Amino acid sequence: MNLKQFYKLLLFIILIPILSSCFEVIEEISIKNNGTGDVILTINLSQSKTKVASVMLLDSVQGYKVPSKQKIQQELNEAVAYLRKSEGISNVKSTSDFNNYIATISFSFKDVSNINNITKNILAQQKIKATNTSSYTYNKATKTFSRKYQAIGTAKTEFNKLKAKDKAVFNGATYTSIYRFESPVTSSNNPVSNMSKSKKAVMLKSSIMDLINGKINVSNTIQLSK
Amino acid sequence: MKKILIAISLFLSLNFAQAQDLVKKIPSNAFTVATIKGDNVFKLMFVKDFNESFVGKKLLTETSKSLDKNFTSIEDFGINLEKNMYYFNQLSDSITYNCFLIPIKDAKKFESLIENKEKKFTQQGDIRTMVLPDSTSIIKWNNNMLYFVTGSIKGSFFADSVKSARYGIKDIRFQNNYDDVAIADSSVVVTDSTYTTTAEPMVEVVEAPIIEKAKVQKKSTTKKKVKKAVGTKKTGKKKPAKKSKKAAKIDSDFEEPREQEFAIDTAAAMTPVNGLVDEQYDAYQQERAEQDAKKKRLAFTWMTAQADQIFNGTYESIETNKSYSASLDNKAIAELWVSSLQDVYNSIAPEFGTYGKAGLMKGYGSLNAKLFMDNKSFRISTGLELAQEQADAYKKIMNRKLNKKFLNYVNSEKALGFMSYSIDTKAYLEEFPKLMKQTYGSFLGGKMEEEIDLGTELFGLLLDEEAVSKVIKGDALFVINGLKTKEVTYTTYEYDDDYNQKEVTKTKNETLPDFLFMFSSEDTRLINKLIKYGIHKNMVTVENNIYKIQEKKSPIDIYFMIKDGIVFFGNSLSEMQSISNNQYNKKINKLHKDLLRKNNFSFLFNAKNLVGKVPDSEIGGEETAKKFNSTLEKMGNVYMKSNPIKGRLVSADISAEIPNGHENALKYLFSLIENAAK
Repeated sequence: MNLKQFYKLLLFIILIPILSSCFEVIEEISIKNNGTGDVILTINLSQSKTKVASVMLLDSVQGYKVPSKQKIQQELNEAVAYLRKSEGISNVKSTSDFNNYIATISFSFKDVSNINNITKNILAQQKIKATNTSSYTYNKATKTFSRKYQAIGTAKTEFNKLKAKDKAVFNGATYTSIYRFESPVTSSNNPVSNMSKSKKAVMLKSSIMDLINGKINVSNTIQLSK
Repeated sequence: MKKILIAISLFLSLNFAQAQDLVKKIPSNAFTVATIKGDNVFKLMFVKDFNESFVGKKLLTETSKSLDKNFTSIEDFGINLEKNMYYFNQLSDSITYNCFLIPIKDAKKFESLIENKEKKFTQQGDIRTMVLPDSTSIIKWNNNMLYFVTGSIKGSFFADSVKSARYGIKDIRFQNNYDDVAIADSSVVVTDSTYTTTAEPMVEVVEAPIIEKAKVQKKSTTKKKVKKAVGTKKTGKKKPAKKSKKAAKIDSDFEEPREQEFAIDTAAAMTPVNGLVDEQYDAYQQERAEQDAKKKRLAFTWMTAQADQIFNGTYESIETNKSYSASLDNKAIAELWVSSLQDVYNSIAPEFGTYGKAGLMKGYGSLNAKLFMDNKSFRISTGLELAQEQADAYKKIMNRKLNKKFLNYVNSEKALGFMSYSIDTKAYLEEFPKLMKQTYGSFLGGKMEEEIDLGTELFGLLLDEEAVSKVIKGDALFVINGLKTKEVTYTTYEYDDDYNQKEVTKTKNETLPDFLFMFSSEDTRLINKLIKYGIHKNMVTVENNIYKIQEKKSPIDIYFMIKDGIVFFGNSLSEMQSISNNQYNKKINKLHKDLLRKNNFSFLFNAKNLVGKVPDSEIGGEETAKKFNSTLEKMGNVYMKSNPIKGRLVSADISAEIPNGHENALKYLFSLIENAAK
């Protein structure tokens, strides 16, 4: 047994308590009254960093190939490059922290509808089938922001096909969306969403499992005061 | 009184006849022998219990259904459950026999099991014979035993035309040589695609000149063939085949018929071609079927003779084989024995091509495996016979015991598992090149003998075996002495009243196994030098003789130290400190001690020590954790060990203890199956 094999054995033992990991997906959108705004997307795996660090040292885990740091960085760069070419998108930036395993992408948009399909296209580029259709609209005249979200039925069935231990990866994972506005919000029709004290922000938190299973729908229509 | 005596003696003799074990019927040249020991099985579980078990019920209802009968006990099958059942096979260059020998208690019951309207058997004396449809297997039985044999002819044998001719069998191959050029030249192509009986085995190369010749020669015959084929679609199929003898010797492999079909598709427009190819192909199929039928008849003849021999003949039984009889164990539930791998590979060499001939199995003798079940555990014991030379080499290598001091660092109350090995490094380094030469020397067909010799010498020259064996003596122990929770920090976000994000650092507990790895070293000078180098290059830091490896990528801290001729590695600083201060809490139990002390190799996993130790949140929720823990609770110790070499036999055991509350391993197994099926 050489040192590398020994190390792998060690990691394997560490990973015994199955790969349930906590990670956060955060989507922040700030919209000005004129319809322009900024987006920050964050993926934070910091709570599982021991496990992620262990996994990163392996070639594959539970039959899935583990991407290298370079590969992850490269894909992030590709996403940034794609965004830069996209219509109405500017000021694209990304950060990656491989100590805490946090990655962000931020950019500005002319109109919130510019970001529709972007996620889908990025996913498609990485050859991942989108699991939902999501679209944003902002009506300047009525000052109504809406997000339409439709979980694709196949997502659930695909997910159910996964092995129990693969599903466990999503246990404890959360999704947070925050929408910020210049004008105060008068109504937000999604019952799970919360309004901030200043009434200028709406937040929705959900577990990723609930999203996949369709227990929670993140669709929302937000009316701003005129 | 006399009558009683006669009755008793009759009874005894009857019993004696019955008691005769069927092993006597297994010929001494059997390659594999597998045994299920009925008496040992049904000692663990009465027939009644079996019938009432989930598996038993399932078996009985299923057979009842499929045979349209009503079975209430496995005794209804007429088999003698108290005696041994055997499977064996015999290999030769031309045929392989797979055979079963099953003791019969009640032939009538058995007959009712197999007989129905379509299946009839013939009787000669008290021997009854039934041929299974398709004549591929024969069942023969009398009042004491049943013999089932199925034989399969070896393709490789009949590929040798000299041998196959002896039995009037031809090796038939469909051949064609469609290549791109040929397809373009379609009408000519067909002339090339014809049947052949090759005197030489497999010539795969289709050379251009041959095609040329065929083109010229066969143009006229093609036309004739077409005519004949069309005219005598039903009767004339043999003729083209005969012609084939004259055909060019172009071979095709197995897949070619398919290619042929494909070619026909692509050349669909060329109808005359098409028809001819079809004809030829049909004829080929027919010819092949004929030859196959011949082979089958031959196999059947051989099988019949073999079965008769088993029933009526006298021959040396496998019992006379020392290796076989030495492999037996009274207490085993089931046994498997495979005769000398080396001999068999040599005898059936054609099957394995050059690998077999090169004697890859040189030095390896018979193989055996035994299954034991008792009130404590399952155990599988495996053994492999080695050539004397090899056995001696292994004996030298294995001549080392685990460092006694290692035992001080095992805490049986907390240990999740361990793995240990001990070999003599010096002997290993000395014997290793020899073993390599033995295995690969013949593999390379003697061509590389000199090079290997040279390599061996060089290896010995470069390495000072003695010196190496002082640095690494050859014994090592890896132990996981429980789990430990470690506080780790992570980044997350908090939101103020206006949902403005703020990055915060929080802490959480993570459970990690505490591992300890140790090996003996008499001469630590080299290691010390390495450490010095590491410190110099900032790869290692030191505090109170405990070194820490500075590796940023590693998710865990690794410490090491040298003490009393042992090099320790571990991820727990407190454990390291207690070793350093001679305060290590030694609590080794007898099982663990024996496993480690007595064997050159050992492995143990103690699932119970893991129960409830991992926080639910880390397993993935309460529910998963419950399942996880209940599975672990049902597991006893699982361990593996190598046994000392006895004579020329190396062996190893794998044991799995059964949890409390189960009468024996067999019943436990049945309950597991039942649970799994629910």
